[in-house]
Amino acid sequence: MTAWVKGDATDAEGAIAAAAALLAAAHAPVFAGLNADVAAIRAAYRLAGTIGASLDTQGAAGTYADLGALARVGAMTTTPAEARGRADVALVVGAKPEASALVAALRGGKPVRGRAAGADRQVLSVGGASAETLPSDLALLRAYAKGHLKDESPLNGIARALYAAQYGVVLYDPAELGELGVEMLQGLVRDVNEVTRCFALSLGDSDQDRAVVQVSAWTTGQAPRTGFGRKVPEHDPWRFDAVRQVSAGEADAALWLSSLPAARPDWLGALPSIAIVGEGSPEAVPGTAEIVIAVGVPGASAGGVLWNEGRAALTYRPGAGGGPSAADVLARIEHHIAGKDS
Amino acid sequence: MLIRIQGGRVVDPTAGRDGVGDVWVEDGRVVAPSERTPDRTVDATGCVVMAGGVEVHSHIAGGNVITSRLLLPDLYVSETAPNGHPFAHAGGAAAWIGAAYAKMGYTTAVEPAMPPTHALATQLELADIPLLDRGALAVMGNDDQLLQLLRDGESKDAIRDLVALNVAQSRALGVKCINAGGASAFKDGVLKLSLDDEIPVYGLSTRKIMGSLLDAVEEIGVPHPLHVHCNNLGLPGADDSFVETLEAAEGRRIHFAHAQFYAYGAADPANPGTGGFRSAARRIVDAMHANPHATLDIGQVVFGQTVTVSMDILRQFGGRKGANPKKWVLNAGDAEGGGVVPFLYKPRGPTSSLQWAIGLEIMLLSNEPERTILTTDHPNGGPFTAYPRIIHLLMDKEERDREIATLPKVVHERSSLPEIEREYSFSEIAELTRSGPAKLLGLADRGHLRDGARADIAVYREDKNRTAMFASAKLVLKDGVAIVEDGEIVNWHVGRSLSLVVESDKAMERRTDAYLQDRFGQGLDSFTVPDAAFPEAEVFEDVACRA
Repeated sequence: MTAWVKGDATDAEGAIAAAAALLAAAHAPVFAGLNADVAAIRAAYRLAGTIGASLDTQGAAGTYADLGALARVGAMTTTPAEARGRADVALVVGAKPEASALVAALRGGKPVRGRAAGADRQVLSVGGASAETLPSDLALLRAYAKGHLKDESPLNGIARALYAAQYGVVLYDPAELGELGVEMLQGLVRDVNEVTRCFALSLGDSDQDRAVVQVSAWTTGQAPRTGFGRKVPEHDPWRFDAVRQVSAGEADAALWLSSLPAARPDWLGALPSIAIVGEGSPEAVPGTAEIVIAVGVPGASAGGVLWNEGRAALTYRPGAGGGPSAADVLARIEHHIAGKDS
Repeated sequence: MLIRIQGGRVVDPTAGRDGVGDVWVEDGRVVAPSERTPDRTVDATGCVVMAGGVEVHSHIAGGNVITSRLLLPDLYVSETAPNGHPFAHAGGAAAWIGAAYAKMGYTTAVEPAMPPTHALATQLELADIPLLDRGALAVMGNDDQLLQLLRDGESKDAIRDLVALNVAQSRALGVKCINAGGASAFKDGVLKLSLDDEIPVYGLSTRKIMGSLLDAVEEIGVPHPLHVHCNNLGLPGADDSFVETLEAAEGRRIHFAHAQFYAYGAADPANPGTGGFRSAARRIVDAMHANPHATLDIGQVVFGQTVTVSMDILRQFGGRKGANPKKWVLNAGDAEGGGVVPFLYKPRGPTSSLQWAIGLEIMLLSNEPERTILTTDHPNGGPFTAYPRIIHLLMDKEERDREIATLPKVVHERSSLPEIEREYSFSEIAELTRSGPAKLLGLADRGHLRDGARADIAVYREDKNRTAMFASAKLVLKDGVAIVEDGEIVNWHVGRSLSLVVESDKAMERRTDAYLQDRFGQGLDSFTVPDAAFPEAEVFEDVACRA
């Protein structure tokens, strides 16, 4: 295993003992990233539960835009395969989704299943020109769709196309749209469903936030961000924002878990920290954190369950030949702190 | 370790046993009385000893359960964990579910709705439920691949092979269909579907789809009969759907999920949409008595706030405007998807009171508790933690009358519950919650206390207050290990996920792989549930098919 403590190369046992000591001495440790396979995310929750740490994720901006809107107004959603298979109208909201493979596939194909099979597919867009006017464009579109505005604007054409669709899909990036934007978009989709079928599809980043949300929900009964400081899982997206906690001086240690590639957060050097990173990644170097442990990369040098974006599901990805798994390292840190082994 | 549970009232209807005696346990099994000195003797004087409870229909894992937690973060309360398991006090979490069942003396629980496209996520979540053996039913009946085969008139063998492949690939314990064809029809604009209505695009009907699944399940030899969620759940006149579906089974084995939600006769048959409903419990029970191949579970309603989770997206869409609080999620997924609609069964409300009465009525009118299994369709009718209270109401006419006295008069006018004198015996409760569900799942090693049974055993202190008695077991053994003592978890024993051993046909595998590649851009390997995916070893336990 490749590991460093304060810049010096060490063995697995040394790094794990140092990490356990660092966390055991902390009063308010934060875990961030969680860009890893399900077993590692699960182990991170167990370790956090044991020591009273809080947890935050890599893709938090998008995740909370979706989760916040979901908890307030609900959602009507579909999947990538259903969008490709059934949609005769696709509406791309904002600029970010244009880069996605799914939108490219939608532009290049036609519906093949359901009542729209064989029809031409219209791919429309709204709000891509300017991030500034995106929310208002979406609000105007909903006003046209509701019939509150009636003049002949291009937005009215889009509204009519959604109503005329047999299976409409509205694609968006939650980080670009923001929580209120997602809420507005879900309201639009709901309105259209008074007449025909229409569903939203969130296109997030490629990190493992969707896996974290599931593990967190079944493990704690709640979405992430989660804190265990009071020996009870508490869900609080504001309080347990790792960046906020570090900048406010509330956190006194950090563990960054990213066995899949992600950029190192710049605040990691601001406090005593542990980085569990994928072997061979640019972050697997002594300077990344006080303690650095390189682990197998799930789906490459280690097997692991990952969020499968193409299928919007969890999938096992085999892999072999690498270092220890992140889950194993986290479990050993936990055992060390609990005094279960040495 | 040899354990003697001594001097309790041992209740095992499968052995005609209801009297004071001993139960002996060794190596995780119930054994014949021994001459040897036991390593542990449990004084069960003044207690009732039963097999561990078996749950056949409770939504305890999967994407819709996850969504319900995200939609209603405040549905459950988390408490500070004193010690032991870090998450067992986190309301609604997997560990909480395991602990809450175990404290009531339940030792097996089945999630009835696992979508084969998301089998791995569901199985990972189930595996994190401690203390219980778990299992899941693979949901079929709306997926394009199956519907295409049926539309194209493919052979029964092809349907059987596809069902077998789905069971094998998802590591399910059985097969369920949910408003067969309804989700597909909903995506194509249909908002109401009955047994013989046409499913657009495919030219099929619920009758045809369900019939093909009934046959496939028999041919494969799945021990659990096809688990059926009918059309028109919860609507006045749903009793017609129930009875027609029962007749459509044509003598084949069939299990009806949450029958209470179908025991709604239209109060005004000329205007079923506006006249409300009256109890059709008698009709449902008579139909069951006439059809010994059928079983049902109840879906008892419990007063209070809950959330309904269902893959019947047609029905959930139809019910969306009754959401309380006013927010809901509908996912038009890769086959069924799911609908999550919060719901308040208003305490003493006329509609919820009648629903509450109808569930009890079905159980109290039934001559055969073994075919009338207790569920709340957790969380759809209410939480499974209400079982002790429901048992109390079944066993105690006075208690029932006290509750009925607080309810609106519609309970008297539209149900027969107030007139029913019957009180369940302990043996009948054991049939309703132990032997019945175990037989239904085809799990011969549990639900009874005969020699050789798995040593899943619950010991309850006899108490006139049946709610208190069944809420907090004095002792629960799982696989012969004491997991609950005096109502508290004492050992975080880990159970297994029960999974049917089914051979899948190689030609169907190749065919399905090509189909999935075309539809998802990913083949069969992205849908599997391999052992290597699980953080802990030895998650699954094999269950054999019927000979």
